[in-house]
Amino acid sequence: MPSLHELQRGFAEGVFNPSAADFAQHIHPGRFPAERHFQVYRHNVFESLTGALRAVYPVVERLVGEGFFRYAADTYIGGHPPTSGNLHDFGGSFAEFLADFPPAGELVYLSDVAHLEWAWHQSFHAADGAPLSLTELAAIAPDRYDTIRFKLHPAARLLASPYPLLRIWQVNQPAFRDDMTVNLDQGGDKLLVMRRKQVEIELLGDGDYALLSAIAAGAVLACAAEQAIRTQSDYDLAAALGRHIGAGTLTGFTC
Amino acid sequence: MSAAATKSSRVAPPIPASAGIGLRAEHHREVIETRPAVGWLEVHSENYFGDGGAPLDYLEQARVHYPLSLHGVGLSLGSADELNTRHLQKLKALIDRFEPGLVSEHLSWCSVDGRYLNDLLPLPYTEEALRHFTQRVQQAQEFLGRELLIENPSSYLQYAHSTIPEWEFLSEVANRTGCGILLDVNNIYVSATNHGFDAAHYLRAIPVAKVREIHLAGFAVNRYPDGDMLIDTHGARVAGEVWTLYRQAIERLGAAPTLIEWDTDLPPLEVLLDEARQAEDILEAAHALVA
Repeated sequence: MPSLHELQRGFAEGVFNPSAADFAQHIHPGRFPAERHFQVYRHNVFESLTGALRAVYPVVERLVGEGFFRYAADTYIGGHPPTSGNLHDFGGSFAEFLADFPPAGELVYLSDVAHLEWAWHQSFHAADGAPLSLTELAAIAPDRYDTIRFKLHPAARLLASPYPLLRIWQVNQPAFRDDMTVNLDQGGDKLLVMRRKQVEIELLGDGDYALLSAIAAGAVLACAAEQAIRTQSDYDLAAALGRHIGAGTLTGFTC
Repeated sequence: MSAAATKSSRVAPPIPASAGIGLRAEHHREVIETRPAVGWLEVHSENYFGDGGAPLDYLEQARVHYPLSLHGVGLSLGSADELNTRHLQKLKALIDRFEPGLVSEHLSWCSVDGRYLNDLLPLPYTEEALRHFTQRVQQAQEFLGRELLIENPSSYLQYAHSTIPEWEFLSEVANRTGCGILLDVNNIYVSATNHGFDAAHYLRAIPVAKVREIHLAGFAVNRYPDGDMLIDTHGARVAGEVWTLYRQAIERLGAAPTLIEWDTDLPPLEVLLDEARQAEDILEAAHALVA
């Protein structure tokens, strides 16, 4: 008689690696052949996990089609099952998986689209940020400005891609009814994914992207500003900070 | 708005012995805007495990007007693994924030060796599993500082080495831990059909005093040349046979909080409300009998 642990381990193997496992021996001869009883669970597990991936990656699914998405999901689930009982945590490595998934090799931008959709999903569930206190900011002496460390809103995510990701994402939204042409040679995108009333995706200039990335990495203002200006020589730091504070992208600071 | 102000503007937590509906994201807005006449709402706890944003905002607004029950699907109480403390902490935070009248989980497992299968998987009904499950329920109740309800799952297989009927196993868990029972009448019907036992017998064996809540939902049928297998999809109206079993349950138990669950192919909210009204009619007849 198997222990509880042995039984459960055998069950999971039977679901994820059916060819390697023989779980039928543990199943009571019921109304149907043992394999058919077990198959219900294998089917339920893969259906529900595929459904979870579809919910997070609708644009990826649209780009590759339902059948291919299922095939990719089946392969992914077997190798990367969830590690938490909260389904919202599942699927975070799908973009990396797609980057190394040979059958999807021709869609060079597919993995970046998946990165964008995961960022959207994370932004949707992220904590609510409190607005930055302008009074506290105004109280800082000018000679200390250089050492201010701003904080990015918990629902802000930054992404860069050599492909026109925003355009690809937009033309693949269900409500999009216009010309769907995407020119892959138009150049790449630097993006901010941010939840305001709802999750929004915004194009960033080179300077903004450099500034916010440095802030996200914990840089002090002097250092973040230097990187922004190095990337974009006409970068207007004061105006940029005003915009990012006003829009709630920066939610706090330490000094 | 401060947390205290939010809490004081809410209806009281206890779940009434009336019909409620499962609240899903697709109906968030409509429920808040139209405030349908149902006694209470139930949500899947894990759907609100996020750190912020729209789901939690909607639930705050709904909680002002409705008592709330939290129904978990991912705690994996029956797993041979250690209890997932991170999961328990998330659940505890949700309980502290929303003051649910009831908190429930399943007589099942969904993870082993840290891998999660995201399904309500059957336990072997053995003395070993009974001791294990009992200990896990006690541990969870201590951590959460409150009573849990444990729900009977639908099942599609039985283990060769099980020695205890499910109704005895569940009753014994309730006796040993002091937990309540969430009796899913549809699940009894589905499992009884799939395994060929008598659903009415199951009902009679459940200790009346332990049942705190009832679930009703619809199933799908997998047809094979050698017979049908019922699948608990939560994707259809409650079947006629299940309504019959529900009437028998209410005759025996008296009126109990009853939930209409719907998860796949979610219909318009009106369909759920219509199902809830049917349950309410049966509950009111039971109330009238007592009066």
